[in-house]
Amino acid sequence: MAEPTAGTSLTRAAEGLIAIVLVLLLAFIPLVASTYLIRILTGIFLFVALASAWNLIGGYAGYADFGPTAFLGIGAYTTGILMTQAHMPFPLALAAGGLCAMGAAAGIGAVLLRLRGHYFAIASLGFMLVMEQVAANLEITGGGSGMNLPVARGFTPFYYWMLTLALAAIGTGALVPRLRAGYALGAIRGNQEAAQVVGVRPLPYKVLAYVGSALFFALAGGVYAYWFTFIDPPTVFDPDFGIQAIVMVLFGGAGTVLGPAGGAIVLKSLDILLTNTSGLLHNVFFGGLICVLVLFAPRGLVELLRAGRRHLPDRRRLQRSGAG
Amino acid sequence: MMLLEARSVTKLFGCLRAVDAVDLTLAAGEVVGLIGPNGAGKSTLVNLISGLERPTSGTLVFAGHPLQGEGPAARARQGIARTFQVPQSFGTMRVRQNVAVAALFRGQPAASVPLALREADEVLEFVGLTAKADAVAETLTTPDLRRLELAKALALRPRLLLLDEVMAGLTPAEVNGLIAVVRDVGARGVGVLVIEHVLRAVMGLCSRIVVLHHGQKIADGARAEVVANPAVIQAYLGVPYGAAA
Repeated sequence: MAEPTAGTSLTRAAEGLIAIVLVLLLAFIPLVASTYLIRILTGIFLFVALASAWNLIGGYAGYADFGPTAFLGIGAYTTGILMTQAHMPFPLALAAGGLCAMGAAAGIGAVLLRLRGHYFAIASLGFMLVMEQVAANLEITGGGSGMNLPVARGFTPFYYWMLTLALAAIGTGALVPRLRAGYALGAIRGNQEAAQVVGVRPLPYKVLAYVGSALFFALAGGVYAYWFTFIDPPTVFDPDFGIQAIVMVLFGGAGTVLGPAGGAIVLKSLDILLTNTSGLLHNVFFGGLICVLVLFAPRGLVELLRAGRRHLPDRRRLQRSGAG
Repeated sequence: MMLLEARSVTKLFGCLRAVDAVDLTLAAGEVVGLIGPNGAGKSTLVNLISGLERPTSGTLVFAGHPLQGEGPAARARQGIARTFQVPQSFGTMRVRQNVAVAALFRGQPAASVPLALREADEVLEFVGLTAKADAVAETLTTPDLRRLELAKALALRPRLLLLDEVMAGLTPAEVNGLIAVVRDVGARGVGVLVIEHVLRAVMGLCSRIVVLHHGQKIADGARAEVVANPAVIQAYLGVPYGAAA
């Protein structure tokens, strides 16, 4: 949230240029890279999207949502059902999944977001468990035996879907702090009563952040379902999606624009390396990492970098104090 | 018409009468002091007026309209601003952004975020916090946080300003600076209720002083009269004002 209110147009232009070059590079990768690398990157984009999405509610609003996977599941099942039963084209089914999740988030958020702290965290987790049971017991979802989606032709489209989602989620995260709603969320995160006495009504903005987060989880779920072609309740309501996203956000820096994406890239890459080495090592590493994180960098890497920079002479800051 | 009128306002916490049948009036442009020992109910009264607490009984009337079910946000939009005794900044946001929140969410909000930020800069200059405009709020010292509290309240363009110990912990020079600021606010027609233990500030600012003790109003009148009142001396001052010096 604490982004500079006045950046020079030169640094902004440079940042924009770097971003465009990066995006173009990522867009060209599938033309030259191996299938293996494309798959790895798609998996990373998935978590960049999830972490950036969780940051909306967990970072900007400061509401620890432990059940974001509920919306991933809703997106996956809505997409699957509409493609298999209504024979809808994938993009349309995906959009419907996003809308469904937004509706569900608005409804459940208006109730749950009145709770604070641990109460909200537990309630949101409960909501996810309920949704998993609903999916496991309905007929239209195929119940416990799951559901098969049509098989897509080629893998590359999924790369671009996930890349688009990841960029859209980062873009939303970059936009929010500049909006009136972003100011409301920053105030709510800081202190809800203090926010109220300067005229901010907390609930609508919390619901907005929750709905935005749900949208990206649902879209990611829809793409995931079509990508893996088979879904069942334990797969798409796996709490691990949410937990990994949370750890990535905390690792990178909650409430920052690029922290969650950075956290996702670093941790997912490590995850892939360690899983290839040993499954046991992988679990030990992530358990240990959470402990280290909470103890030494409770605000994430971004804050560590910032703290490090504070000890160095910052040319921009010197200029500013000289001018003032 | 009075800007604020409290009629027999009572707040019970269990069997504790935190505020006990208090009557209070405050006119536009009037700067009234609210003093009393710790636990007298001063902050609770501010919570009742700003809407963070609901009175157990009694009514509050603001600019002719009874304040019934309105929450704190609605009251802020009507022009009731307050500061907190323990400063409550929006820690992750910059100082300028903290103040801009109020400009963006008051009754007639700033039209855009850039306009709100520009306005925030003006308010920060007014309270003497310009040098810290770019600082992240949680890095501020307590005196600066108190200034920020005041800046946020002023950015609401209030009609009624409730100041809960904004001068605590400031140096005498800083107190003088804030006295000038608050006097200026009152001169612009804002009604100000000043809760303060810094008696010099109360004496310098307020022509009228209200004294609370055990939730009850024990004095309400002209400054000289109130500080000479034996009940006030016994409950709060200890010695007549000026005698210690």
